[in-house]
Amino acid sequence: MDAKLKETILNPIFKGNPITVLVLGICSSLAVTVTLKGALVMTLSVIVVCGISSLILSLLRNTIPGRVRIIVQLVVVAMMVILVDQVLKSFEATYAIDKQLSVYIGLIITNCIVMGRIEAFALGNKPWPSFLDGVANGAGYGLILIVVAFFRELLGSGTLFGIDILNRFGYVPNNLVILPPFALILLGCIVWVQRSIQKDLQEK
Amino acid sequence: MNTNSNLYTVIYTTLIVVVVAALLAFVSQSLKSRQDANEKAETISQMLTAAQYGSKAELDKLSNTQKLDKYAEEIEKAFVIDLEGNIVKELEGIEVYGPKPLKRQNYNIKGGANKTGEPELPVFIFKNGRTVVPIYGAGLWGPIWGYISFEADGMTMGGAYFDHESETAGLGAKIKDDPSFRAQFVGKTANFADANVIDLSKGGQIDAISGATMTSKGLDAAIDTWLAAYAKYFSKEEE
Repeated sequence: MDAKLKETILNPIFKGNPITVLVLGICSSLAVTVTLKGALVMTLSVIVVCGISSLILSLLRNTIPGRVRIIVQLVVVAMMVILVDQVLKSFEATYAIDKQLSVYIGLIITNCIVMGRIEAFALGNKPWPSFLDGVANGAGYGLILIVVAFFRELLGSGTLFGIDILNRFGYVPNNLVILPPFALILLGCIVWVQRSIQKDLQEK
Repeated sequence: MNTNSNLYTVIYTTLIVVVVAALLAFVSQSLKSRQDANEKAETISQMLTAAQYGSKAELDKLSNTQKLDKYAEEIEKAFVIDLEGNIVKELEGIEVYGPKPLKRQNYNIKGGANKTGEPELPVFIFKNGRTVVPIYGAGLWGPIWGYISFEADGMTMGGAYFDHESETAGLGAKIKDDPSFRAQFVGKTANFADANVIDLSKGGQIDAISGATMTSKGLDAAIDTWLAAYAKYFSKEEE
């Protein structure tokens, strides 16, 4: 694999993470991180939507009329979001999670990461790198989601994936952790950690 | 080719929208039966929650087949009544009323242009003596519906469960997510003689949800409309 492709995949995971560096997709990362299961399903959904939308639009990139390109992007992303939602509703294992995530699956379309990557990358690059870029950005988003959800479920419910971890030792679940503001505090801490590791992100 | 000409733009957008619409229609049709099965099991677990056969979280641990089995095991009888409280037909097997059929009946109760026939009101009597009836109405963003159970006296509520399509998370969505809101219904008495069958308001018989005025009002209206339709059935029961 050449260096440029490797950079496309690795950059969004840490150095150019969509949430902590680009600060996109904050809203949904506050909303769907109460449980790890929800965060995981959301992660997979965003990876699929981001990857395949980027692929389709990259294939179409030379045919899309410039004046309506945002509308064409919207149509493709909306299609992917509806497809993901329909598939989640169809399986017994994912139906309950889809109900729990309710509107947030549909709101993937408003996740700036998806449209942002299409506009910035997919419309100017070949299909294969675009697909990888979409998947990697979805994964970078998901990584933060899972880290946040890990702490929120552990401290807020005393469980992980619904399995009791802390409650058996007499831990009293902290209700503040369940509420969205705590996700923002946690997110701030993650940005802090990343900035102290990555000195070049610090403003002079 | 000039991709910026008007004609090209119009043809291109039309084409892409038609292709996407066809694809979505196809997927939706082919997945429909699976989704309906999931929805049916969900409706059953909501009714069992209202009838106090366990909390929603406990019932959600059951698989779809287990939920259907539990329903078949616990149901005493299920039938459809008209506005006069007379039984119109028995419900055979596992036939439940999820949001889609409830929407149709909601139009029939309210009348107007969307009315398709006389209201058919389902009644589910469980072996623990509780009678479950559905409610349906409009929330703030979309439909809300639910199931309320009554004790054998036909007045005291045994439990309730509500669901919604797209109420605001953390506010209106509390009608579903907040067990303490639903717990308020247990033991309260419905006043079938009054148009305001259950008083759901700030500090009322059932305390409304703060920050979710429209959802609370919608739920109050849905409960009053539907329970008023069942009034004759329940007053007959008492005699």
